[in-house]
Amino acid sequence: MSHAEPFAAPITADQVDLSCAFGPLRLRTPILTASGCFAYGQQFADFMDLRQIGGLSTKGISPEPRHGNPLPRIFETAAGMLNSIGLENVGAQAFLSEKLPFLAELDVSVWVNFFGVDFQTYVECAKTLSEGSREAYPNGGGIDVLEMNISCPNIKKGGIEFGTVPEVAHRLTKACVEVCELPIVVKLTPNTSDVVAMADAVKQAGAAGVSLINTITGMAVDVRTRRSRIATTYGGLSGPAIKPVALRMVHQVAQALPGFPICGMGGILSGEDALEFLIAGAHCVQAGTINFSEPSAALRITAELRALMAQLGIRSVADAVAILEPFPPEPPFSATGPGSR
Amino acid sequence: MDDGRGIAYVSRVAPAQFQVDVVANRPLSGGYFVLELRSQAPNPVAEAVPGQFVMLRGEWGRDLLNGRAFSVLQAFDSRTFSVLLKVFGRGTALMQQLQPGDRMTVTGPLGRGFKAPNPERKQLLVAGGVGLPPLHLQARTAAATGQAAAVELFYGGRTAADLVLTEDLEAWGIETVLATDDGTRGVQGRVTEPLGARLDRAAASGEAVEILSCGPTPMLRAVRAIGLAHGVPTYLCLEEMMACGFGVCLGCAVPVYGDKPYKYCCTDGPVFEASEVRW
Repeated sequence: MSHAEPFAAPITADQVDLSCAFGPLRLRTPILTASGCFAYGQQFADFMDLRQIGGLSTKGISPEPRHGNPLPRIFETAAGMLNSIGLENVGAQAFLSEKLPFLAELDVSVWVNFFGVDFQTYVECAKTLSEGSREAYPNGGGIDVLEMNISCPNIKKGGIEFGTVPEVAHRLTKACVEVCELPIVVKLTPNTSDVVAMADAVKQAGAAGVSLINTITGMAVDVRTRRSRIATTYGGLSGPAIKPVALRMVHQVAQALPGFPICGMGGILSGEDALEFLIAGAHCVQAGTINFSEPSAALRITAELRALMAQLGIRSVADAVAILEPFPPEPPFSATGPGSR
Repeated sequence: MDDGRGIAYVSRVAPAQFQVDVVANRPLSGGYFVLELRSQAPNPVAEAVPGQFVMLRGEWGRDLLNGRAFSVLQAFDSRTFSVLLKVFGRGTALMQQLQPGDRMTVTGPLGRGFKAPNPERKQLLVAGGVGLPPLHLQARTAAATGQAAAVELFYGGRTAADLVLTEDLEAWGIETVLATDDGTRGVQGRVTEPLGARLDRAAASGEAVEILSCGPTPMLRAVRAIGLAHGVPTYLCLEEMMACGFGVCLGCAVPVYGDKPYKYCCTDGPVFEASEVRW
């Protein structure tokens, strides 16, 4: 196997420009933190300077507050963990009044993950968040992105269809886009047979981009009690265990929809993991599960990405996006090689 | 900070994440062991009150993803503290193999601990198994502040080997009742039996008492039932599966009565009032 040429000679870390674009949005760095793994941000202020991160995605917000699922809710598995928290959140109004002011102060890209329990409440939630942010921050600086979660298995009515049937996702995205001024990024589920069809459907509906991927549905069993390790039987698998699946899906969507903004996520622990996602076609990434065990991980990952890009001579994030090299073709097979007569 | 429940009795110490070296890995009887951990610079765990905990991870890659929660057993100085462990799963099995000089990552101190010993109301400390540390530290605190008589310890295990660090309690002059299922040390049977007798005595004499307990969930359920039946304030230090320890993963839900169906072991607890817990 031949080796691809290095990009260029190494450069110094301060020659690397980490600022980047996600569609019309500008990001300070391509490293954000993922929904459900960062609460509403405050807890992390004890561990790092939040102003240094590229952005964050909040816990999923619904129109009304929700209490979570019975326990056990989490279980650690090989290089990953299962969770079934149940989309517990404070609700849209309390989010706007109690949580958003802290986030708006940070001056980082604020992505508010949201969902509804049916078609109507999805649209209502998008509208409430968009209007609430505009009223409080008429000159911008509140919510930057609404990240629409159409991939959570814990919604009863039609929840599965939103995330797996392209026509339904299209209709829902379109309805939300029409009622709000903020860009909508749709977070897609890997629990579908055709992620490209889903991405295309929401793109046609006016989505500003997609987040890939949410957790993969999974299960673990306690053989002694003969119970599932998760009270709701199934949970969402996250962590390094799912990174290969996430990379494959990011690459598929990037190939099918060139230039369409993709935020990649799934088991990112290091700067090298992040760069893999960029090369596969993501424009930015989110670090999720790592925040639990290393609350300042986003800043370490950012520093590692900078150092790795310098080592590889990559000057900007844009230079790293969607640059996967094909393998050179093998010489055609024949019964005799060039040296034989 | 007093939130009105009379549980947490110090202002919140901001948690930090920091590296430590294993100073000692001391095996005790019954498969228990004590890890003594020291950081280069001062760390906030020295400020931990009994019941507060730390999340610990070793340098073993990311097959094991998350830290594991352990109550603080003792803070020696501003850099050194210890925890008590027993092998329960993959994480604790790796921790048992740690040698002096090995590195670990600590997040803490986390959670809200027990209320301080006080002369107004005798504290009956009820411990089982790896639930000993918060109560051992409470007894240490009582002794160190000249209040050894303000607490009594009830400590149970399956067999004599499960009762560890009892020499400390003797040295501090803490009145202690030991119980083992097989009668190899102390009274035979569950620790809740002598506890029940003690509560009857207190009721008969009008003595003000309260219960502080930590241990396996079946024991805590029994202690809760006894405390509620006797109408005695009862505080339980709970353990639930947690990924973060600081209120983000929402994995460690505790079912409660009140405004909301769940609170969180890591940030609302781990110490809860027994009457509040929905068991």
